[in-house]
Amino acid sequence: MTAKPDFTTIAVFASVLSFGSIALGQTEKPLSTESVQFFETKIRPVLVAQCYRCHSADGQGIRGGLSLEHKDAMLSGGESGPAIVPGNLEESILWNAINYQDYKMPPKTPLPRAVIEDFRKWIEMGAPDPRVSSGVVIHSNVTPEDISKGKDFWSFKAPVKTEPKSSQHSNWAVTDIDRHVAQLWDEHALEPANDAEPATLVRRLFFDLIGLPPSVRELDTFVANWRSNPESAISLTVDDLLQRPQYGERWGRYWLDVARYAESSGKEVDMTFPNAWRYRNYVIDSFNNDKPYDQFVREQIAGDLIPAKEDKQFAEQLIATGFLAIGPKALIEQNPRQFQADLIDEQIDTTTRVILGVSVACARCHDHKFDPIPQTDYYALAGIFQSTETLFGGMRSQRNRQPSNLIILPLNDPNPNDKPISKTELVSLKKQLEEREKEYVEARRAQRQPEKSKEGTAGRSSFLSVAILDQLIAQISGRMNTVDSDGKPMTLCMGVQASDRPRDARLLVRGEIDQPAQEVKRGLVQVLCKDQIKLPPNTTGRREFAEWLTSRDNPLTARVMVNRIWQHLIGNAIVREPENFGASGPAPSHPALLDYLAVNFMDSKWSVKHMIRSIVTSRVYRLSSAFDGARFEADSENVYVARANIRRLDAEAIRDAILAISGQLELNRPKASLIASFGTTLIGPNGPAMIPPTALASATGSDSEKTPGRPNMMNAIRVGGRNPNANPFEAPNYSRSVYLPIARNSLPRALDVFDFAEPSMVVGSRETSSTADQALFLLNNPFVLEQCDALARQLVRMSSNQSERISKAFTLVFGRPATQKELRAAADFFRKADDGKKTVAAEQRVFQALSQFCQALLCSAEFRLIN
Amino acid sequence: MNFDSPTFSRRELLQTASAGFGYLAFAGLSTAASDQESGLNPLAPKAPHFKASAKRVIFLCMQGGPSHVDTFDYKPQLATDAGKGGKYGGSKLMPSPWKFRQQGKSGLWISDLFPELGKHADELSLIRSMHCDQPTHPRAMTQMHTGNAQFIRPSLGAWTLYGLGTENDSMPGFIALNPPTASAQSFGSAFLPAIFQGTKVGRPQGRGPGQAMRGASNSGPQLADISNPRQSKQSQRNQINLIQNLNRQKLERDVQQSDVEGVIESYELAFRMQDVLPDLMDISKESEKTMAMYGINEEDTNDFGRQCLMARRFVESGVRFVEVTHGNWDHHQRLKTELPENCREIDKPIAGLLTDLKQRGLLKDTLVIWGGEFGRSPDAPNGDGRDHNHKGYTTWMAGGGVKGGFSYGSTDEHGYQAVEDKCHVHDWHATILHLLGLDHEQLTYRYAGRNFRLTDVAGNVIDKIIA
Repeated sequence: MTAKPDFTTIAVFASVLSFGSIALGQTEKPLSTESVQFFETKIRPVLVAQCYRCHSADGQGIRGGLSLEHKDAMLSGGESGPAIVPGNLEESILWNAINYQDYKMPPKTPLPRAVIEDFRKWIEMGAPDPRVSSGVVIHSNVTPEDISKGKDFWSFKAPVKTEPKSSQHSNWAVTDIDRHVAQLWDEHALEPANDAEPATLVRRLFFDLIGLPPSVRELDTFVANWRSNPESAISLTVDDLLQRPQYGERWGRYWLDVARYAESSGKEVDMTFPNAWRYRNYVIDSFNNDKPYDQFVREQIAGDLIPAKEDKQFAEQLIATGFLAIGPKALIEQNPRQFQADLIDEQIDTTTRVILGVSVACARCHDHKFDPIPQTDYYALAGIFQSTETLFGGMRSQRNRQPSNLIILPLNDPNPNDKPISKTELVSLKKQLEEREKEYVEARRAQRQPEKSKEGTAGRSSFLSVAILDQLIAQISGRMNTVDSDGKPMTLCMGVQASDRPRDARLLVRGEIDQPAQEVKRGLVQVLCKDQIKLPPNTTGRREFAEWLTSRDNPLTARVMVNRIWQHLIGNAIVREPENFGASGPAPSHPALLDYLAVNFMDSKWSVKHMIRSIVTSRVYRLSSAFDGARFEADSENVYVARANIRRLDAEAIRDAILAISGQLELNRPKASLIASFGTTLIGPNGPAMIPPTALASATGSDSEKTPGRPNMMNAIRVGGRNPNANPFEAPNYSRSVYLPIARNSLPRALDVFDFAEPSMVVGSRETSSTADQALFLLNNPFVLEQCDALARQLVRMSSNQSERISKAFTLVFGRPATQKELRAAADFFRKADDGKKTVAAEQRVFQALSQFCQALLCSAEFRLIN
Repeated sequence: MNFDSPTFSRRELLQTASAGFGYLAFAGLSTAASDQESGLNPLAPKAPHFKASAKRVIFLCMQGGPSHVDTFDYKPQLATDAGKGGKYGGSKLMPSPWKFRQQGKSGLWISDLFPELGKHADELSLIRSMHCDQPTHPRAMTQMHTGNAQFIRPSLGAWTLYGLGTENDSMPGFIALNPPTASAQSFGSAFLPAIFQGTKVGRPQGRGPGQAMRGASNSGPQLADISNPRQSKQSQRNQINLIQNLNRQKLERDVQQSDVEGVIESYELAFRMQDVLPDLMDISKESEKTMAMYGINEEDTNDFGRQCLMARRFVESGVRFVEVTHGNWDHHQRLKTELPENCREIDKPIAGLLTDLKQRGLLKDTLVIWGGEFGRSPDAPNGDGRDHNHKGYTTWMAGGGVKGGFSYGSTDEHGYQAVEDKCHVHDWHATILHLLGLDHEQLTYRYAGRNFRLTDVAGNVIDKIIA
């Protein structure tokens, strides 16, 4: 099921991650005195003198991920596999290397024959090594009593639905949600605000449910319906909006925020994830289909392990597991064990915070500081993820040291830019690849030993060749890896696969990879388990983990999700830190309401649409945000929701609304993503750090021997590198914002400037800042100016009368008519705008002023706020 | 009314531009953050925890890991042991090809690679016992900036801005000049509100395959959308007047609305920035003498000289934290030819910066920091070049209340690792914050259920270097 990049044999390192390699022999026999002495006299001094410099934490780093500092480290090995397999010379890479077979170590001079013989003896006698850090057992300070007492904490107990107490506002209330909210008003001497005006309410509904403003007609229809029957007006509109595809684009994006969705690795080396968009579409479609939330979660954690009736369904489940694979990655990391430990940590952290609202990753290095989560619980989960292979793609290069495979989907839907490669071309590419690899080795040698190289003084240029060849090799193999052996493009996705050999993880002292202690049985977070749960020994336990996350017994999953839904619709979350339901988190403002919603959520077969409908049809949702001194004094933070919160639109809604109003919004879903068209590559400030196609052709073309390709290639790169307008992320794009390319280190400005969710972090609630940079964007950005022109053109088409145009502009942008005072301000603006230079034709001047006027409306605070 | 004048305070401008409304909230912060910031302008100057000796920072960041044993860490024993195996055998120790001599009254040992900077020896506090945890460039770079290479954490500049606010309300408070690419983390605010993140000014320095071209980096500063391609100033002011008129009407209707106040404020700052920023970056009004002092218009020193001068102009105008990056210090090969080039590129500009700050009376409360993400090995695995070394290296500080002509800590006899008065990056951070009047243990931000700080659970202030 996985695509092996079998062309990626870059000369130096050509290996695949070895999983589960941390597990070691559990019972250690004591070493004999003689064997220890043999090690101390014949082996250790050689390791110290010849190897430690590059293979110990004390030296110049751990080259190739291999530390030779103690037994565990040697047995688990580095990028190429275990350095020592006791008793087995052939499998021991150290033996291979000191004999100058595939590897050559020490690199400059081979060890004397006698020393090599000592190593033979030593490996054959089972590689006795007293440098042991195992045998360490870390005892947790969290006792079973602590854990069982911990289960009494409010959020670790199952939610229970209670009837709302009767309140003085029972006449006001329409639904149970209202009764739950109102009962706290009594305690805090609060009176509810009036219902909002229908024009305000319809704008609120549209932005909340689909992230777009109502059209003028939709607005008028709603207001008319409201006058006859408010409940049915809302109900009709909600039904309509929930079945529009724009709903999933709006609510799917909230999930993408917490799933830290992005299309590149981020961190130091930003590598594209050209198939990440499949996960994005999966999320959007799941919301549109109202996929039960429990199923949605199970698919993302264990979709690869859940039986599916047909290929299409299975493909969907595989894509879902992209959730575990799209996180940020430090591809520069040399040590594969460190990389794997960090990867697992990121998966545990994201999964537990997003779904459970607790941070289990705190227990990587020590017991959890606040919640009764011992360090062993973390490693119980780590065992589940360690028995899982994470597939995120990439080509090995000097900067990407941690490539992986991808999943081949049982579908025929390749990335649109991945074209078939003919047999002959495939052969030629393969040949070129081999040649470039040879040249690469040559260039590396020249770089390391300039005095010995044929080219002599070519210092900086050999450095350049190495960089270019490295990139070329990654690019050619990247292209070849998009097709199968017949040259047909494959349909690939990111995701996870269960390892063939599930293994328990070893606890790492202070979380350090070279300090393994005892093995910890795979398992779950104890304090969240009603009864003890045993995982079957021969499976990864990931499917059971997914089942447990979404079982009715799990006290957190439903609460955490309904809290998110409430927050997106009401403004305040009930638990104000949506990822922290633990002891250090804030208490819920409405505990009974939270439980009521959580139980209803489960009872409705985990239907998100049902929950949204039940909240927006409550009277609480309808409250006005109008200011009232007494109400403000009594509850300045609006904890008890006796009025509506004024909220700022998020980045996507601002951009989408501008496009909707300018009439330029493209509602059809674009194919794939801009990033998919880049293929696998690193991303620089001006887009993909690729060798331009023309240069690539000149370097890889069949006549490359005849023409000196290298200098041409460098020229082309120079030109490309200097073109300041080459940034493809800012290219014109009229799709909804959820489809914009999300490269972790190069966010589109329109999103970045309005507090887009940092795509490397779990973001349950975004910031809403007001910065000068936002003002500069709206005042000066060419994209914004273009939309203002488009809006102005519409107005010109609608009417030839200036004051009609002005009032239409107000209705289009704000969804309400202008006030007299606003009309006076507008008139004043046009008068002064006309005072300008008379060199421009009158008609053009009028149009420019109209466009600037439209821009002023879009710049205003009202446009970006929901009242 | 003169809207163009940068001397208008935010308060004055708003009072004149609008009928008095409530408390200004520059950032309508998220619910989680609002408890911490409760409606105050988070960029307003804030009192430090205790009396500060430094009010602002210029951080000269040397990307790639400059060799300490050839510049600021004199190791005569290296010459004695030349050609011998280093601590772990392998390649041979290489003495510095350059002469060291004692400079200034203090007699600090500095190599001949810094003839101009050497004249400022009596201003410098050398920290010769630096060490960090990361042997690779990107991760060490991240640790130097955020204290932590594994997780996304706020950067030193963001913490500084969070702690102190800024003094020029027409300028961003944290500016990164010519930032390297893929450096989002080095200038990011992570979980701190976005308003504290660094504003990048100038062309990024590429590190892709095209990076090796020298001189291509500094093709003129830029900031996105800093000017309007269509409108004159006057015309745009007319437009902003309409925007603000609508905003004020909205505010009158809503009465209590910190979001609207924040928006009003943001347009005024943006409008001022459009004038002030390009003006501050226009160094043509500086005297010939000043330009010459920084080595501007000389071939080797022009780029960095301009950036240093711009840094001075920024801090002079009240910007809290300015970082200037200089790249290509990763001398695995050709140390003998390329290290002198690098040093020449920065020697005169930095000397000029120190002289200029001093003559303007700014050096006493401006902390100038110089350093790379790590140093280099005393041995030479590739003949004419040195390897990475994060176990021991040198950084220095000047001005801002540090001792001049002072040397703190030391490495072993070959410069391989810090042995005496070791200074970890956490200690270095703690000291920088201390000089700014901030207690690194008190400067915390609550996120994901606990209080975070720049120094995590570590860090000791190096009292000895404080004057």
